[in-house]
Amino acid sequence: MAKYGMVVDLERCQGCRACMEACKVENNTTESMFWMYVFRFEEGTYPDTKMSFLPRPCQHCDNAPCVKVCPVGARYKREDGIVLTDPDRCIGCRYCSLACPYGVNYFNYQKPQDAYYALGIDWEDPDVTSVTGGVVPPYKNPDHDLLYGEEQRRTAGGGHAKGVMEKCTFCVHRVENGMLPACVETCPTNALVFGDVSDPDTPISRYVRAREPWHLLEETGTEPSVMYVGGKPPTLALTEIERPKARV
Amino acid sequence: MPKVTRRTFVKTSAVAAGGTALARNYLFGPLDTVAAESPLALQPMVEDVVPTTCWIGKQDCGMLARRVDGRVIKFEGHPANPRNAGTLCPKGQAQIVALYDPNRVKWPLIRTNAKGATGEWRRASWDEALQLVADQVNEVRERDPKAVLWQKGRSKAKKFYDDAFVKSLGSAKMGHGAYCSDVGYRVLEYMIGTHAVLHPDFRYCDYMLSWGWNITGAGGNKTCWLQWPRHMVEAKERGLTITHIDPRLRSAGPFADDWLAIRPGTDLAMALALCHELVAQGFLDRPYLSTYTNAPYLVKPDGSVAKVTVGEGEEAEELALVWDEDAGAAVPFAEATSRALEGSYEIDGEVLRPAFEVFKEHIAQYSPEWAAPITDLPAEKIRQVATDFGEKAQIGSTLVVDGVEVPYRPVGIMAYHVAQQELGFPTLQAMTMVPMLVGAMGAAGGQLSDYSWKIHKNYAKFEKLTVDDPPYDYFLNKSKFFPINTGLPGVVAKVMQDPAKFGVEKLPEVAILHMVNPLNAFPSQPDFLASYGMFKFVAVISPWLSETADYFADVVLPAATIEKYEGPISVNNQYIDGSTLRIPPMDPLFESKGEIDIYMDLTEKMGLLYGEDGYLYQVNKALGLVDDKAEFGVDINSKPQVRDIFDNWARSEGIEEGVAYFEDPGKSVYIKGPVKPTKMYGYATDPPFGGAIHRFYGESLLDAQNQMKEKGAEAIYYQDYNALPTWRPPTMDSSPAEYDLYMISYKLIEHKQARTSFVPLLAELAPGARVDINPVTANRLGIESGDVVTVESHNAVTGETRSIALPAVMCEGIRPDVVGIPHHFGMWTHPVNEGQGSSPNELYFTGEGYTTNTADQSFHVKVRVRKGGEL
Repeated sequence: MAKYGMVVDLERCQGCRACMEACKVENNTTESMFWMYVFRFEEGTYPDTKMSFLPRPCQHCDNAPCVKVCPVGARYKREDGIVLTDPDRCIGCRYCSLACPYGVNYFNYQKPQDAYYALGIDWEDPDVTSVTGGVVPPYKNPDHDLLYGEEQRRTAGGGHAKGVMEKCTFCVHRVENGMLPACVETCPTNALVFGDVSDPDTPISRYVRAREPWHLLEETGTEPSVMYVGGKPPTLALTEIERPKARV
Repeated sequence: MPKVTRRTFVKTSAVAAGGTALARNYLFGPLDTVAAESPLALQPMVEDVVPTTCWIGKQDCGMLARRVDGRVIKFEGHPANPRNAGTLCPKGQAQIVALYDPNRVKWPLIRTNAKGATGEWRRASWDEALQLVADQVNEVRERDPKAVLWQKGRSKAKKFYDDAFVKSLGSAKMGHGAYCSDVGYRVLEYMIGTHAVLHPDFRYCDYMLSWGWNITGAGGNKTCWLQWPRHMVEAKERGLTITHIDPRLRSAGPFADDWLAIRPGTDLAMALALCHELVAQGFLDRPYLSTYTNAPYLVKPDGSVAKVTVGEGEEAEELALVWDEDAGAAVPFAEATSRALEGSYEIDGEVLRPAFEVFKEHIAQYSPEWAAPITDLPAEKIRQVATDFGEKAQIGSTLVVDGVEVPYRPVGIMAYHVAQQELGFPTLQAMTMVPMLVGAMGAAGGQLSDYSWKIHKNYAKFEKLTVDDPPYDYFLNKSKFFPINTGLPGVVAKVMQDPAKFGVEKLPEVAILHMVNPLNAFPSQPDFLASYGMFKFVAVISPWLSETADYFADVVLPAATIEKYEGPISVNNQYIDGSTLRIPPMDPLFESKGEIDIYMDLTEKMGLLYGEDGYLYQVNKALGLVDDKAEFGVDINSKPQVRDIFDNWARSEGIEEGVAYFEDPGKSVYIKGPVKPTKMYGYATDPPFGGAIHRFYGESLLDAQNQMKEKGAEAIYYQDYNALPTWRPPTMDSSPAEYDLYMISYKLIEHKQARTSFVPLLAELAPGARVDINPVTANRLGIESGDVVTVESHNAVTGETRSIALPAVMCEGIRPDVVGIPHHFGMWTHPVNEGQGSSPNELYFTGEGYTTNTADQSFHVKVRVRKGGEL
């Protein structure tokens, strides 16, 4: 059984947010939802100023607090390390969101159609629907309606239903088909490395051996599957700049 | 049911937790997902992949379009395209929303209200709209083809169909270059002969000056934002050191090993000081300078080069003399075996000195101590940069690359849009001299520009610059104003408002604007507002209604976005060469058409499609389907399908399957192979450097200055035409002291110039304009983060002021005497543009003091900032 992990190389990250956008299109997330989020930080005082970037997907923790608190088993960890949400079980209690120290859970407060409309585009325009057959958004990925894993659950983002929690799935629908997560695939500088950490011959395992990975909020004991190399853990000395219209 | 706030909701759901799925029903009503509503989700789906190329960005990166039932659901990077190697930037990912945007221009529009205000339109048929454009343009064209002005923002793919259109009409044309980096192109064409700016050889470079360069927001010169940073991070892992010379740190992000926060407009002083130090410290590649440049040319006291005439009649040739140390005499350059770079030599009673000797004397004044107060950089820092550059150049070393031994100078400069300042020409001249002094030009690891050493036609043209008497054409070509002339639309706008001032008699009468938006994207906006209304007819070809179309179009023809055939498109990533095509992933949406179809339909209506010199004839010519490839040309007497044009082109390249090769997702990228060192490195080409002698000394520039003076030009026009780059303070510095800040504008990685801020997904990522201001300055002005501030610019020549208001953002990565504003916003025709704020282009000026000596726009101006203002 593979054990999936991700390495984020902060010496390579350009902070371009292509990963955020690839995730958004691949997973059809609605307005202000970014399962992958890239912080842009400034630190110090002119002229001794430094900049840094920090991509933050769901950490897919081995000791996942969100899984422990879910009262209905909607949030669960698979044997291959991926932490997922079953939208058909989720009751929208948001305990996972409160328990998670990383802020990666996004709650659907709105019907998805309304959240897409809020982007300023009328997808019901008859000239568009004549092409798209009324699919909202027109780039809707049908993979999210399928069932995944041994458990056969609709866990690849579901339908962004109102009242359920969602977050990064490591693109389980792609990974199960032998593809890389959308963020990893698109990264222009290959700052994101994804793969099976249990196999010593994978690129990610070589990365982990060659560098000294660290974890976000190591002290919380969450045992994340996402590792960082280069850079340093963020501190309160950092100021976030250039926030998108996102819930963070 | 009552509105559920966060707090009450958590409380309620805790109580309801026992009911699982039912509980959600209770709280939110029935499960309401998009999937449940999708009629397509219920049917079996057909999936396929179409290879295509990105349409939204700069470099047409390779993409694979994933389709479901013929509907594109995702664009991904094409793994086989060397340029982007399977990756895409945020714009490439987000363009899928632009494709389906219901706010595109869906069908031809004809204006129903007066121009100069927001347009009112009626829907027209293609036939009616095309006929109207053809009649209006033909009426003028038959009288004077140059009174027809064709303008395009940026051509996508090879611009053969644009060139064919302009040639078949005989019209004038304008592009975007004078707002981009063209003054830098002119410098390189002048000095080196290549059509490019400055770019390092990342494969071997050890030390790069990132000069005014937006590492994390822009990309390369010839190649795209995707492969440029990939090469850069790989070079950094190999040990590349980057010194960042820029008023903003944000542009380098975390990649600057050292940041020199230079004062805007003083890059020339910095470059001259580096030249001074390289000479003073003896970092000179004498064999390069004496063999491949005109540095040994003997210069007379009046600045002209001593020459000898050989041959007679039409064969007669003037050859520059050098001092041959072996012969102890002045002989033509090619005959000398040991060319002197220094000294002075008396010949026929005149004291002649090698150009390099003149240069040494010229730069003696430009020490780091001299440059320090001008640039606001410590002298020791400037000296250190020169020492590092000189030492790391390893002058004299060679490297064997793919079996070819070439000089190895692993130092280079990345410079591109930094050229766009009032002193841009001499600035880039001095910056180009820095790698030249150490012999890095065209060396392995050193200074590249273009990826080949093909000599541009301007190199020969610039040997002698022509300054005519008026009347001039409306671009002011060969004029006493701009003997080297990029063709600045803002200058044309100035000329249209006051032709007599510039000695111009004939103005453009009709305009065809193809995907260009001067009213928003180019300075100076008041000039475009005043001049574009003077066109008696304006036709616009564009997928969206631009601000310029909104105010001034008579007819708008809807262009397709990515849904069309276009190409050929280079896949060159600097080290691997090849080509591809844009294949339509869908039929054109709404009633839009690809541009080649539009141009064929339009020239057909104009009676210019067929026959000798017709559009199709020009298409064949522009695609190279003539002479030995004439068999692949399309029939010039019958209208082809656009696909057939590319089919012919592909076969002409030796691709037997024709266009089908590019439609096959398994193929679709045609790799020609690695770029050989004999093509990449100037020293290794045959002849070296494409046969150009590098113009270290600009004799014809000085000659142009003399001619301009004779014709009565003012100093502000001729003062920067000098044989050697010469410092003067930029004109903006004479604005009154209360205009105490410099304004610069910059590009964001999430946006592409003025054509993405209305793409909803990109507007979400980078939502609007802002004024970056250093907290020290903000404190002084009583400004806090988020406050609305008014930025007022001042024209030092005319005294005119302009202002905009935007929210302020505190920024520790910017000089305290500088404010920065991103340049992508300020549009109003698309609903997504609502509330995005103004464009810095509203504050810049065009004309004396704000235009280079080559008719290129400066993006520098002095401003003052105060708290308050109306957004």
